[in-house]
Amino acid sequence: MSDDQDRDLLAAEYVLGSLEAGEREQAELLLATDPEFARSVAAWQQRLTPLATVIAPVAPAPELWGRIEASIAPPTADVLPFRRHIRFWQATTAGALAIAASLAAFILLHQPVPTRLAMLSPMAGGAPVLLATAEPNGTLTVRPTAGLSVPSDKDLELWALPTGATRPQSLGVLPASGRQLTASLAANTQLLVSLEPKGGSPTGQPTGPVLYGGWLTSIDPSRG
Amino acid sequence: MSKPSDDPVVLLQRCAAGDRAAFRLLYAGWSSRLHGIALRITRQSALAADATHDAFVQLWQQAGRFDPDRGSPEAWMIGLVRYRALDIVRRQSREVPGYEGDEREDESPDALARLVSTSEGAALQRCLNALEAERRRLVVLAFVEGLSHSELAARLSQPLGTIKSTIRRSLVALRACLAA
Repeated sequence: MSDDQDRDLLAAEYVLGSLEAGEREQAELLLATDPEFARSVAAWQQRLTPLATVIAPVAPAPELWGRIEASIAPPTADVLPFRRHIRFWQATTAGALAIAASLAAFILLHQPVPTRLAMLSPMAGGAPVLLATAEPNGTLTVRPTAGLSVPSDKDLELWALPTGATRPQSLGVLPASGRQLTASLAANTQLLVSLEPKGGSPTGQPTGPVLYGGWLTSIDPSRG
Repeated sequence: MSKPSDDPVVLLQRCAAGDRAAFRLLYAGWSSRLHGIALRITRQSALAADATHDAFVQLWQQAGRFDPDRGSPEAWMIGLVRYRALDIVRRQSREVPGYEGDEREDESPDALARLVSTSEGAALQRCLNALEAERRRLVVLAFVEGLSHSELAARLSQPLGTIKSTIRRSLVALRACLAA
């Protein structure tokens, strides 16, 4: 069986829902990084979704709507003037607002403006939860843009995966409140966050699910 | 089955433009369906509510990523809630069985007959019916309840390897049948 067919079957099993936790993480990593795999997933969704019509609808509790509304409330920071500086991101999403708010904070606080940043989103999709900014001097700052809950017996660990590398490099444990560190990161680098035993991965490679990821993108706020 | 009160493709486009009224309409039209799906996978109303919450938040934030050329809005939205529900149960490594519902109702000819309400559903039904009953049952159980390979093996008292290869063969057969 060819690799393509294997990939397509992995997409099928992902959509079907039969993959184990580790396999799902793998599929979600592919989904986030491989457009061909994403197309396979979309095609299988189209094939299998009619099966969902056999499931009886059940109304959610009335208070769920309020919870959802609260979750999508726009940030209060006045970020509009900064929107035009972030052309690389379509400026309608929460992610853009988070980036813009962060850039605004840098500018307002007269901090050095970072030259690269990454929004780390759940691998399964969803709004960014971490913002990473890299300054030319190697300072990498990672901060949560949403509340992160980490089980008390676990730690998050930050990884750098440059394009072409097969194994991520550990940047250490990442507290849920964020962290600043010094790292030399290649031009095209993906930052990943995995869930690890307390104290970090015992093996030097991710042992738990990769929860969040995002690419470092060059920015130049002086260009508008 | 509740029908959306407006074309979901249009509503999703309006959501992408930040139109909360459109989001409210999508919620009104689809929340019961999505929540029902989440409930079958998570089997607990609190977890199902979490999955439905996450799916709608994601829908609002990613409506702009929905591409009608790649599939229907229904498949996209149902995908959102199913993956969130599956994430939740896989993370919890849920305790197997103890489910009070009768899953067989989903495999009965009557239940599968509901598929024919759309042309795609009719094609899927025809192709599912072309599978052996046991294979059809595996596919339906996996999709509807989100059972993993190992959970299916436990539920059906079959070796894991047999379950995996049966599912793969069934999916290959479905793909060929649906392309025919």
